[in-house]
Amino acid sequence: MIPLENFLLLSAILFALGFYGVLARRSAILILMSVELMLAAVSINMVAFAAYLDPERFTGLIFTLFIIAIAAAEVGLALGIVLRVFRERRTAMVDEASSLKW
Amino acid sequence: MGMEQVWLLPAIPAGVFVVLALFNRVIPRRGDFLAVLGMAAVVVLALLAIIDFQGSFVEGVFSPALGENTYSFTWIDIGNGTLLIKFATFFDGVTAVMVFVVSFVSLMVFVFSMGYMHGEQRYGWYFAALSLFAAAMLLLVTTNNLIFLYFAWEGVGLTSYLLIGFYWERQSAAEAAKKAFITTRIGDVGLLIGIILLWRASGTFNIQEIIHLAEEGGFGETYLTVAMLFMFAGAAGKSAQFPLHVWLPDAMEGPTPVSALIHAATMVVAGVYLVARMMPVYDEVLIARDVVLYIGLFTAIFAASMGLVSNDIKRVLAYSTVSQLGFMFVALGVGSVTAAMFHLLTHAFFKSLLFLGSGSVIHATERQEVEHLGGLWRKMPITTLTFTVGGLALAGIVPLAGFWSKDEILLEARDEGSMFVYVVLASAAMLTAIYTTRVILLTFFGKPRDQHAYDHAHESPPIMTLPLLTLALLATIAGFAAFDGVGEVLGFAGGIGQVVVTHAPHPFEFHPNVAFPATVVALLGVGIGIAYWGGSAVRAVRAREWAPELHALLVNRYYMDDLYQAIIDRVILSLGGLVARFDKSVVNESGVDGGAQTIGWFGYRLKFLQTGRIPNYALGMALGVLVFAVIAASTVS
Repeated sequence: MIPLENFLLLSAILFALGFYGVLARRSAILILMSVELMLAAVSINMVAFAAYLDPERFTGLIFTLFIIAIAAAEVGLALGIVLRVFRERRTAMVDEASSLKW
Repeated sequence: MGMEQVWLLPAIPAGVFVVLALFNRVIPRRGDFLAVLGMAAVVVLALLAIIDFQGSFVEGVFSPALGENTYSFTWIDIGNGTLLIKFATFFDGVTAVMVFVVSFVSLMVFVFSMGYMHGEQRYGWYFAALSLFAAAMLLLVTTNNLIFLYFAWEGVGLTSYLLIGFYWERQSAAEAAKKAFITTRIGDVGLLIGIILLWRASGTFNIQEIIHLAEEGGFGETYLTVAMLFMFAGAAGKSAQFPLHVWLPDAMEGPTPVSALIHAATMVVAGVYLVARMMPVYDEVLIARDVVLYIGLFTAIFAASMGLVSNDIKRVLAYSTVSQLGFMFVALGVGSVTAAMFHLLTHAFFKSLLFLGSGSVIHATERQEVEHLGGLWRKMPITTLTFTVGGLALAGIVPLAGFWSKDEILLEARDEGSMFVYVVLASAAMLTAIYTTRVILLTFFGKPRDQHAYDHAHESPPIMTLPLLTLALLATIAGFAAFDGVGEVLGFAGGIGQVVVTHAPHPFEFHPNVAFPATVVALLGVGIGIAYWGGSAVRAVRAREWAPELHALLVNRYYMDDLYQAIIDRVILSLGGLVARFDKSVVNESGVDGGAQTIGWFGYRLKFLQTGRIPNYALGMALGVLVFAVIAASTVS
């Protein structure tokens, strides 16, 4: 059986990649994709813990289902916003859309 | 109706006030008949209460337990009796005199006002304010609680302010009202401090309980002296005693019936009433009582001297009132509540008579300076007759009311005070006789000095002369209340010496060795007055030219008003300027504005942290998570 640590390692790498993407990318589409990566990392963690630590119940699995559903909704909403911003400004770079401040 | 229902006395005029203040425009005659009827009902109830009061003597001695009203309600109760204020009334001889004087003189003045104020603008409001005054004054004299007393005390002060400033379109009236309110206010603060001091040591506001405690020595002596001196400051302010006397002459700016009621017969004697009510406590602290004595003595002669030269008929009477109040305080200062309350009773009648008489003159001639009057007796016989009766009663001529009560005070001053007090007081009595004669002669006799005013003059209508005649009758006979036989006929235990007492009642005695010199002094005063101001008053003019400095000193009221004005201008206003500058620069500009500006400056600097760039916020969140992670890791291990 594959040890739990491998899953956790995979999840950590995925999370770090996603995190780096969120911080470093300027395009709103790429930031969204990075966020999806982070969510995937968390989901892997959930499933792994569920299988290894508490196989009798499905808490972790149900959580993961929720995350997938919410992520889908979130992407739909976020893409809508990005689309509006793009239509207004002909760009999807987040640092260009900085007028909502003092 | 009896002593139990005494609370009705203030309640009726208070109700009249509410009705008149709100609806006087829709009631016929502006509702003046409501005020008069209400006051008539109060007089009847007061008489019934006094009849009931006759029963509260056990074997000839007044029993305070019977004076205490069993009807009471708790008004404030904080901390289960820590601060307990109960409303109840108290009725003893002092209250009986006050209730009778206040209700009766009020009724006379209300009736007189119907003629005097006829056709006046704000006629309805005048009666409303007068009713409010009566309510406050009756509460003041019937309550057994210092907090309610203070409440009523301020109530009469308020109505005095409203009525002095009744003609507020006139600058001088508005200023006189302000002066009266602020000057008495200085004393009132003292009264409040005194009340708080008494409460702090005794835990009660009930006057009888405080008296009981003081008699048992429940207070420290110095503490009680200080408390009673503060209380006397309130009494001196309200009763216009030196050095707080300056407001009363100016208060004559009000309508004349107001002067008769508030500034002669009732409100100004509130101070006398207060000291008389607290007399058993003053008996415990003789230093405070001596202060009362000497302030009263000085005021008696000091005010009388100013009455000698004043040109305004009402101001002469005002100085006379201040002086006579001094007489009452002398009586209290030697420990005689009887003499003080007796003089209060007779003074209320003859002084309100004199004021109403002067009101009748002013109504007829529209002049109140004696230099414009003269010879009015041909035109106004009833006013002249009644005014002269009042004046002679004030001067202390046998057998008018003032003679008996002044005699009582002189007797007490000689027996309980000292020869010095007696002589000074007798001199003040002589000055009283002189200025009274002067004002009568200059107003009603001699040649008319202002032909136009004289031609214009006419006798007042019956609604005004009727109160004058009634009060003249009382000014004649009120002094007989001293006789035990008269008191017994009226159903009391005896004369006023047996009824209005703090300690042991004493029967009436005639002392020829006091009464005889007093009569001589009074007649001498009248004689001097006639010699100087009779006929064309040449001697008076010569006397004025002989000592112009003295005349100027008296006319300028010993420069007391100028002194106060200078103190206000120099000391108080410059101090006020300093405080204002402190407020402007330190509190306002540095404190309030400065605080706001500092916050604003920080906000202006810190707002640039908000870049609006999403990666910056994401980095902030990441760093935050990192910090939490480090903290969590360090606490776990």
